[in-house]
Amino acid sequence: MVLALRGASVVLFLILWEWAARVPVSFNFPTPWATLVALFALLGSGALIQATLTSLQSLLLGFGAAVAIGVPLGLVMGVVRPIGRVARIYLDLLIALPTAALIPLVILSFGINIVSSAVIVFVFSAPFITMNAYGGVRDVRPRLVEMARSFDVSWPLLFTRVIFPGALPMILAGMRLGLSRAFLGLIVAELLLSPFGLGKLIMASRSMFEHDRMFATVAWTLLLAGLALAALARLETRMLRWRP
Amino acid sequence: MTLEPAHDSDLGPVGLVAVAGLLLVWELLGRLDVSIFLPPASRVAVAWWGLITDGTLFRAASSSLASLVKGFLSAAVLGVLVGLAMGRFKTVRYLLDGWVNALMSAPLSALVPVLIALFGVRDTVVVATVFMFSFFVIVVNTLTGVRGTDRSLVEMARAFGAGEVALFGRVYLPAALPAVMLGLRLGAVQAVKGMVVGEMLISLVGLGERLIYYGNTFLITELYAVIVSVLLIAIIASQLVQACERALVRWK
Amino acid sequence: MAAVMSAQMRDAEAPSAEPVGIAIEGVSKAFGPVQALVDIDVNVRAGEFLSLIGPSGCGKTTLLKAIAGLMPVDAGRVVVGDRVVSGPGRECSVVFQDFALLPWATVQSNVEFGLLLRGVPAPERAATARRAIAKVGLAGSFEQAYPAQLSGGMQQRVGLARALAVNPQVLLMDEPFASIDEQTRRVFQDDLLSLWSKERKTVVLVTHSMEEAIYMSDRVVVLSPRPGRVHQVLEVPLPRPRELRDVRATADFARLVDGLWQILRKLQ
Repeated sequence: MVLALRGASVVLFLILWEWAARVPVSFNFPTPWATLVALFALLGSGALIQATLTSLQSLLLGFGAAVAIGVPLGLVMGVVRPIGRVARIYLDLLIALPTAALIPLVILSFGINIVSSAVIVFVFSAPFITMNAYGGVRDVRPRLVEMARSFDVSWPLLFTRVIFPGALPMILAGMRLGLSRAFLGLIVAELLLSPFGLGKLIMASRSMFEHDRMFATVAWTLLLAGLALAALARLETRMLRWRP
Repeated sequence: MTLEPAHDSDLGPVGLVAVAGLLLVWELLGRLDVSIFLPPASRVAVAWWGLITDGTLFRAASSSLASLVKGFLSAAVLGVLVGLAMGRFKTVRYLLDGWVNALMSAPLSALVPVLIALFGVRDTVVVATVFMFSFFVIVVNTLTGVRGTDRSLVEMARAFGAGEVALFGRVYLPAALPAVMLGLRLGAVQAVKGMVVGEMLISLVGLGERLIYYGNTFLITELYAVIVSVLLIAIIASQLVQACERALVRWK
Repeated sequence: MAAVMSAQMRDAEAPSAEPVGIAIEGVSKAFGPVQALVDIDVNVRAGEFLSLIGPSGCGKTTLLKAIAGLMPVDAGRVVVGDRVVSGPGRECSVVFQDFALLPWATVQSNVEFGLLLRGVPAPERAATARRAIAKVGLAGSFEQAYPAQLSGGMQQRVGLARALAVNPQVLLMDEPFASIDEQTRRVFQDDLLSLWSKERKTVVLVTHSMEEAIYMSDRVVVLSPRPGRVHQVLEVPLPRPRELRDVRATADFARLVDGLWQILRKLQ
């Protein structure tokens, strides 16, 4: 029954799409079939793969840095309370800030190259990763810490056996959120920066009025992001097998 | 998935000191000429004042805010309705939750070119982007709120003879309210982000356009001024929703 | 004159509803492959105080819900008064173990809840609720408080007030004192008994406390472990009113509790 409903919603979506393409809502709308054809053409010509690899470079650099810096930072914030209380104010500001506003500044500072994209990806994802790591440490059940202390546990052991595992669910959730934000930032950056990756392909297709290619690239991008997030979610489940 | 622990992001005395400290460091680094891309806070303040007095800021901000309000209000109304429907009716939930979950973590910026193809290069695209960015967060939080209703309250109400309508209005809805308000608060912040992204990508009007313009023309202090303005809008929007929340949810 | 009189009449309390008996005939209930209750036959006399007790999983709460009309039965039927139970009805009121108070409503609003659902107009609702609040001993300063501000015992009193406000003939209580500390519990038990002696209702109390079952009831029904059947029905011939005598200190009481324990022990 569930499957039927989900399937039905997909079918409904395709029908709506087909209808939108035929009705002259806007002469720019390709049909689902045209999009599919364009997708295979792009894949065949290698353009899509090339763009994907370029984009992934920036993504991995930026996201990797965000995790490498954000998680430890969040942990420190959670453990050393005064640091946490102050730093979280800056983090709150960064999270509230429409990060896209920083893109022109980053481009000016670093130029139009992969470093800029990586920095943008970093700025988009790091605050969320840090905040979640911080929250994870703070939300560790005090009762568990108390219990460990009653056994006169040493600090390193307390951290590795109680605090870190306790914070792990939120850390992983933060990484998933960070990855989604990373993709978001990447795409905005590339749509604006243009010489690179998937964003460039989208803009190029649009300026040449090849809307079927544009749609195909957009769909591909969304699919890519979806797969990456699903993979991360799978990893998360494996690492948190103990959860009820 | 919700973005952060549901605490009140109030500044308080620590907050004000922290922000003051930040401004101080900013001023110092700027004076030390660390980079031409880091002007001192005082010069940014001057540029900001300039933008206010010559009307640029108000012109851009009013266009931005108009799109923001239109997009956010429609997302709020529709989002809560859809969330309520999904929370209450399994059929609706199974029909839509795949889409909602997928789109909530999707890079929605990738859809902006599609919107441009649909509407052309106009501010409607911005309204649609604002809507997109905030809609899903609101739906998910509303849905979680409804589904999280304490089962024993539902049973109690049924024991006292509540029918479907009474159950919905007197149990599910009030129980979901805190979550709905959280969703609206997060949605407001997301809406401002959407506003900026949309405006930057169509580069036609509003604060987003100003960001692109000042970036292209190397007007660094003005660029910073707009960035701060946009941040302030996000904070004010979030605080407004929080104020509503405090007024409506007094029992926690 | 007429206006004053009708106002007085409006404010005058409706007479307490006459209690009715409950006939549980051949009731069985299964949840999927799990058989919770099998062939339950119990006759609760009108105005009687009856307890349901048994080991965990014996289905006592399920049985209570069946009487309340919150759960359909697979076989047999439940008759409350002269109505065959097919859904929640006006004769019964339920008091819940976790209080089930609406956290966003004041004490006053919570007590009015059942009346609200029955379409009682606002002024009458408020007056009736206030009387119920007074009956459970919370009058004066708590009407505008929220549940989160009250202790467990006080919250349950609100739950009881809500149940009483709709003037039921049958009171169904699902381990009402389980979440309350023992000292508060004893006071509450005595208050309940004193209330019951003034306004006779048929009471069915689900409990896991043997002391409580013996102290409060006229009869105790012991259910066997899953699938729950009626294992035994004990008479409790202790004199009433029990809250005014130190019943717990008597030898008879101890003997009855021990007797119940011996039965339950063999069932574990």
